Amino acid sequence: MAKYGFLIDASRCIDCRACLVACSVENNVSMKSTRIWIKDSAVTGEFPDLKRYSAPFHCMHCADPSCVSACTVGALKQNADGIITYDNKACIGCRYCMYACPFEVPHFQWDQQFALITKCDFCVSRLEAGQAEPACAATCPTDAIQFGSQKEMLALAHDRIEKQPERYINHVFGEFENGGTSTFYISPVPFDQLGFPTIETTESPAHFNRIATEEGTPIIAGAVALGMTGIYLAMEHFEKKPHTDRKPNGTEEK
Amino acid sequence: MATVNLTIKPFKALEGLPRYVYVLAVITALGLLAGAYRLYAGLGVTTNLSTVFPWGLWISFDLTNVAFSGAAFTLAMLVYIFHMHDLHSAVRPTVLFGFLGYSSVLVILFFDLGRWDRFWHFLVYPNLSSALFEVSWCIAIYSGILAYELSPVFLDRFKNEKLSRIVEKITIGMVIAGITLSSMHQSSLGSLFVVQIHRLHPLWYSMMQPEFFLVSSLSAGIAAILIGSYASIWMFKQTLSEKVLEKLGSLLPWFLIAYLLMKVVDLFWGNKIGLLLTSGVYSALYVAELALMLSAAIWFSIKRLRASRQNALYGALIIATGIVINRFTITWFALSALNGVRYFPSWVEILLLIGVSSGVIVVYALIAHFFPVFSETLAVKDLPKHELAKLKIDQPVSGD
Repeated sequence: MAKYGFLIDASRCIDCRACLVACSVENNVSMKSTRIWIKDSAVTGEFPDLKRYSAPFHCMHCADPSCVSACTVGALKQNADGIITYDNKACIGCRYCMYACPFEVPHFQWDQQFALITKCDFCVSRLEAGQAEPACAATCPTDAIQFGSQKEMLALAHDRIEKQPERYINHVFGEFENGGTSTFYISPVPFDQLGFPTIETTESPAHFNRIATEEGTPIIAGAVALGMTGIYLAMEHFEKKPHTDRKPNGTEEK
Repeated sequence: MATVNLTIKPFKALEGLPRYVYVLAVITALGLLAGAYRLYAGLGVTTNLSTVFPWGLWISFDLTNVAFSGAAFTLAMLVYIFHMHDLHSAVRPTVLFGFLGYSSVLVILFFDLGRWDRFWHFLVYPNLSSALFEVSWCIAIYSGILAYELSPVFLDRFKNEKLSRIVEKITIGMVIAGITLSSMHQSSLGSLFVVQIHRLHPLWYSMMQPEFFLVSSLSAGIAAILIGSYASIWMFKQTLSEKVLEKLGSLLPWFLIAYLLMKVVDLFWGNKIGLLLTSGVYSALYVAELALMLSAAIWFSIKRLRASRQNALYGALIIATGIVINRFTITWFALSALNGVRYFPSWVEILLLIGVSSGVIVVYALIAHFFPVFSETLAVKDLPKHELAKLKIDQPVSGD
């Protein structure tokens, strides 16, 4: 299955927030807990030549998502089409994903009695129902949010930068960040000015996590279990009945 | 044989329980009330946790507590694997300490979950690459093993010899399983921070975090036994002999030096020497921890110091301070260092923590009151005269 992707163009965003409303309606959540929020640069330039840029920000849907590798109960999963889904029936609200995600995407329902995580899932139920686009992309009046296959979106991003180098900086955010994602951003200003997180690693933290959990832990467990058994047997062998009254496991059986 | 009927005369049975237990019971009740309020009102209203700081005091406490509760597996390893039978007198009080330590961690975690009604979900929704999944399973099983290791205390009380013999026969298997599970979850708690490369201050970030947590829990565990032995002089009129303390202390330099060597290797290997000089308060905390651990290693390598009850306590407190600095820096101070967020716990967070900690002492005292936890330890009244004088106890076992 081809992977889905987003292309979000900060030069087209007019900060109308229709995507937030669409997200709220589609996912039946209050405006306070939409899965999109707006990142913007401060107003720059001198009057009357003022500039301000903004872009909607939501889950990047990483190729190797750290939230998925961290989630205690496997509530976060990656689909074959690259979507990171969230199972609100499994989640226990431990908030480990909030620490694992380098983009600070998973949010928590702090005001709820029984609180869960909220996170964009590409409107997966909408796509499964046969609709063409997630709600935010369908709503965006300036086509700042575009939806399609991941390959197409990445090609389109590079195409736009190439054709209008004066309009964009030469950086597709999401192409290499965190080992690559399914959401790409292009912008007229550097992304840190838009308030995007600076991602220095091109390898996903999920990679390091797996080294620790899937390789380190079994090695430690095996080494300790074998070592302890070996030392115990050796001690039993070399230390013949020194404290018969305290022997936890009688030597007489041997 | 005094046979006390617990069901008919509960209040009579409580006679002789130290008075502080009642005070702590009230504090526990207040703490649990704060906890109930948190469950009712949600985390946002009752805690100072936020989107940029989703974990706080409770997680810091849990990780510190697990390190100290490492006392149980460390001692089990020394006594049952390395055959240091002369340390056997410490087993029961230490296993009970470990069991209640882990229990309190589980209680606090329960209040920390957004969906606390689903705390059991880790049993049915596996994610094998999750460190927290691993920790949940290991702690759950290990709590069972600690209960097993503790069972002789109860079986003795009820004089069930047949069952006692069966328990004794498979003890060694249980001990090895317990040590393995402990190594797994002590190290996996370190693995929690391996994924947080973008969050944890780079000086404190390390791929060796799991090994740091594991090795430091050995020293933390022994320090906890030394401190506990001193505290129980006042709390239970029971303690360990200076000979046992000396032997435990003699192992500390080895554990501490191993830990320090690993930290130094990590500093060079991870190219962090530069960071060590430029990271301000994070450098200070780093140096403070290493300096404390190094001074404790030197302290305990001097026989005259570790052979004295008071000096063993001071040394253990040095280690405990180092452990607290380490765990709190990693889980709190250096965790959101990069986005500059400050967090301080709310009164509900603090009160619940104090309440649960008090509850641990209450339950400990109750179990020790009814069951032979201190069956092999030294009664304070039997301490040598010079020790009693040093402890400023004139009368053997004066009441409260």
